[in-house]
Amino acid sequence: MEFRLLLLDGIHWIITELGKQVLILEPKVKEGHLEKIHRIYQILDKENDPIISDIVPAYTSIAIYFSASKEKTLNYLKLLDFSKLKSNTSITKVVDVHYNNGLDWENVLAKTGLSKSEIIEKHSSPVYTVAMIGFIPGFIFLDGLMPELAISRLNTPRTKIPAGSIGIGGNQTGIYSLESPGGWNIIGSTNQQFFDIKNQPPISVSPGDKMKFNPILD
Amino acid sequence: MGSLQVIKKGFQTTIQDLGRFGFRKLGIPTSGAADSKSLMDANSIVGNPKTNPVLEHTFYGGIYRFNTSSIISITGAKCNPTINGRVVSQYVSIEVKIGDEVEINHPERGCRVYMAVQGVFDLPKVMESYSTYLPAKFGGYNGKVLEIGDTLEWKTQQSDVKSTEFPKENIPYFSSKIAITIENGPEYNKLDDQSVKRLFSGSFVVDSQSNRMGIRLTGEKLISPNFEMVSSPVIPGVIQLPPSGNPIILMNDGQTIGGYPRIGIVNEPELWRLGQVKTGDRIKLVSNHLL
Repeated sequence: MEFRLLLLDGIHWIITELGKQVLILEPKVKEGHLEKIHRIYQILDKENDPIISDIVPAYTSIAIYFSASKEKTLNYLKLLDFSKLKSNTSITKVVDVHYNNGLDWENVLAKTGLSKSEIIEKHSSPVYTVAMIGFIPGFIFLDGLMPELAISRLNTPRTKIPAGSIGIGGNQTGIYSLESPGGWNIIGSTNQQFFDIKNQPPISVSPGDKMKFNPILD
Repeated sequence: MGSLQVIKKGFQTTIQDLGRFGFRKLGIPTSGAADSKSLMDANSIVGNPKTNPVLEHTFYGGIYRFNTSSIISITGAKCNPTINGRVVSQYVSIEVKIGDEVEINHPERGCRVYMAVQGVFDLPKVMESYSTYLPAKFGGYNGKVLEIGDTLEWKTQQSDVKSTEFPKENIPYFSSKIAITIENGPEYNKLDDQSVKRLFSGSFVVDSQSNRMGIRLTGEKLISPNFEMVSSPVIPGVIQLPPSGNPIILMNDGQTIGGYPRIGIVNEPELWRLGQVKTGDRIKLVSNHLL
């Protein structure tokens, strides 16, 4: 594996390779990784150049899948014009959450030492950023969870979590937009649908979008 | 137009092509034939473009009754397929008549058998691919495995590809003991000396929990490096090391992002061979850096 540095968007990025067709770019910054990653994601997604076949943002790095040669791809990246990017124009999407549908309240109360209403208050007050989508289709990772709500994952993951479930895993919160297995603590659910295979693209949010939870207490 | 009907269900039979590209950013795995070489061989034998969708059978494949005369090919794992009970060859183009019954038997070596029909299946593409992704139930034939009564139809296709005879000496031999070359992964340097030694000295045994998402290896236990790993991008071929110390090789249906150290990555031209490994097979990992 080869390491090198690339100057992009005013900062240095550490470049590593993952196989022959994927570059991993990691911003060399002390904080604000995600913001830098979303800037490069947005510009590549918008340009949609055939030289790049896929882009997968994560918390501290972004994977760039390329179809041309590595050199050509690096040259293409070097020439990206970041001045075209609009800053923070995204609207905040409000998601109604039925917190009484949580499956793991007992666990969450014990682990946080907080009351249910305190947890709901702390979970529904921040404006979150969609950090990335994955590891499975439509899983929405949100950045911005209050540190008091960070709790460990379930010891034994569930084999089935209903679509629309909202959970906490470590210092992250997220939405299971499709039924899937998973190990996060489920504290509520939403009826809003984010993933529909008939739509193009099938997921209605993208990395960098803002999101806020609106508690529905029924 | 051609068509066939499933009259006996296989263990896990799905439609696959070379995979779904460009949607990993939405968490959508690549999918596609686990043994991509056998898919392309099946297509070239019947004169299809190599990217065409084919049937992927894992273990026992089931029985098909053909409603039309057709040209087919059967590649991949050695399985002694039969037509109306008589054994036919693999890696050749076969003429099937109306009413013929083709059975894909349990493989003798390898675990996945591919069957191509001349033409292209009359199925909708999902996100630019025919590949089935079972966990989220989309792609291929209604996002599911083929079952009794299901009818598959295909259209004849203008193809510049001439059906080619497959040289016998090129038919792959799927041994239950294989060596695979790997490159160091991004977190390789975090492994302790003992684990590095074990990674390359012994051989791993394929666990029964293996599937199209990943191949779980047992036998040699490594020590998962103790540091806080942030969820990071992964691709098919990446070798992850969970806290259990038993490595997992991600396969076609594998996730897009993973939170376990990425200690290695399979040399891409050898990845298709892993599509044929089954429970109990032995895999020896060879470092690309020592060759």
